[in-house]
Amino acid sequence: MRKKSLSKKMDTLLYKENKGLLKSSNKSRVLRKILANKLAVVGAIIFILMVILCYGAPLFTDYSPTAIDLRNRLVPPNSTHILGTDKIGHDMWARILYGGRISIFIGFGSAVGAALIGVSLGTYAGYRGGMLDSVVMKFSEIMMSFPQIILVSIIVAITGQSLWNLIFIFILTGWPGMYRMARSQMLSIREEEYIQALQAFGIKKSIIAFKHMLPNAIGPIFVNITLSTAMFILQESSLSFLGLGVPMEVATWGNIINVAQDLTILREALWVWLPAGIVITVFVMAINFIGDGLRDAADPTQVG
Amino acid sequence: MLNYILRKLLGLIPMTLIISFMMFVGIELMPGDAVDYLIPPDALSTVSAEELDAMRLELGLKDPFLVRYGNWLVDLVHGDFGYSIQSGVPVKDLLAKTIPATLELSIAALIFSTIFGSFLGVISALHKGSIGDNTLTVFGMVGVAIPQFLFGLIMILLFVFKLNWLPVGGRMFPGNTQFYQRLNHLILPAVTLGLSMAAGVMRYSRSSLLDSLNKDYIKTARSKGLSEWRVNLIHGLRVAMTPVVVLVGFRLPMLIGGSVVIEQVFQWPGVGQLFVKSIRSQNTPVFMMIAFFDVIVVLLSSILVDVVTALLDPRVKLS
Repeated sequence: MRKKSLSKKMDTLLYKENKGLLKSSNKSRVLRKILANKLAVVGAIIFILMVILCYGAPLFTDYSPTAIDLRNRLVPPNSTHILGTDKIGHDMWARILYGGRISIFIGFGSAVGAALIGVSLGTYAGYRGGMLDSVVMKFSEIMMSFPQIILVSIIVAITGQSLWNLIFIFILTGWPGMYRMARSQMLSIREEEYIQALQAFGIKKSIIAFKHMLPNAIGPIFVNITLSTAMFILQESSLSFLGLGVPMEVATWGNIINVAQDLTILREALWVWLPAGIVITVFVMAINFIGDGLRDAADPTQVG
Repeated sequence: MLNYILRKLLGLIPMTLIISFMMFVGIELMPGDAVDYLIPPDALSTVSAEELDAMRLELGLKDPFLVRYGNWLVDLVHGDFGYSIQSGVPVKDLLAKTIPATLELSIAALIFSTIFGSFLGVISALHKGSIGDNTLTVFGMVGVAIPQFLFGLIMILLFVFKLNWLPVGGRMFPGNTQFYQRLNHLILPAVTLGLSMAAGVMRYSRSSLLDSLNKDYIKTARSKGLSEWRVNLIHGLRVAMTPVVVLVGFRLPMLIGGSVVIEQVFQWPGVGQLFVKSIRSQNTPVFMMIAFFDVIVVLLSSILVDVVTALLDPRVKLS
């Protein structure tokens, strides 16, 4: 009796598989696992909310982030300036929103850029091995033996300070990590039997690497992109604080907090720097939650 | 093991050569040179182009690239780290003045974060799921997300301006050079740096202790009838500390490089501040030496981590 119901179950499975109906359930499993992770959902909601606020900034504030109003300097939060103004009358709410555009852009842009270079090199070199692999590996070892902040500052000193230079530097210092991650994924996937089958068919190496192996490593790559975004946003703010980031006249979250180096502002004008600090912390936390959720969801050994 | 250490140390030589060369190339790419910064802008108009050229010649800035690199490397081996282009003070002296300050700060922070972080980690692993555990987890999440300097600023606001307990920055008041007199200057930066590092240590030691408490050898220890604290702390913790040691080991380089931001916040007169200053003024020999030493410390500490890991965990074999 029991045997019969089991074989019936297998028959339906087989039927579904043959009709191609089973494919979609795998995707929804990842989605379901992410949704089951409450922190990841909260993180995603905060993330989306903040991105909408920053990129739709003109909808949420009437002030320009660069408009100077010398009559309203260091005004505490009130009904016209909900987060007050700074030393030269910039509206802080507007500066946080418009500054967020740049901070998020730096973080996300650098992470995606580093991933594009690191992953494509890592995928190919990890599968092929050989000269290219050992040279790039040595290079990444060298890059990684510098403390990040020291390496970044040195390159800032060489290239000069600007938005694009900063993104360039983050990509330059970020890709070796991505390379190593993609490479190690490839090394383990390389041993799978289906790769041998593909090789036996005589399929081109680059096609095997990018079309058949890369999709199986995509989970950890996305996790890495999210966590790097958070890391780069934090680094941008530290560099701004050291006076080595994006030029001061451009509003970024880091530059906004930087004015608190002035001890009178630090003590008397909390509204100038604290909101930006809270925003940066909450945003980075949200991204970390998403990253952790993605990691759990992409891990097939965890049943959800 | 001695063999392993020796081989690793020898392996460092080509690595450091490559790194020093790369850095030299980078510095050559910089706009401007030492002479531009040596002479104040208002005095520049009084100096003729020939005099500037003569100065460049004297400072050795006109030699071919490889010669300059070679000279620098030879000097280095002889213990001559070059001179600050701005003040003419030997880099060695500058480092000798700043390294003790940085070591004082970072060793205090490292000890504080390791003890405090692993203590909290162990507590929260042993009481998994309790309110205390959850609170600590939340603190840990905030701890890794908050920018270090922001945390420092908040600490200054609280303990200096609101509570008036501690001095705002610097390393000592003029004249008060005894350690106990300087202690109140050290507390705030060391605790700030330590707390921001403790978040990571806590997360690591918690998850790693939880991991090892599920292992078979813990069941064996328990079935032998050992007391609960012995099982947890002697058998569980010893192996669980391995990843923590790795983490702390990789933090060793912070002894020089990692306190850059905190030194800036608290105006601590250490290597980090010297580094930022020399980067801003493009003082090549100074920041080159700092970065160079830092890399060497990183490489040495990674060897140290390997060795200590092998000592702690009998399953690890050095190869």
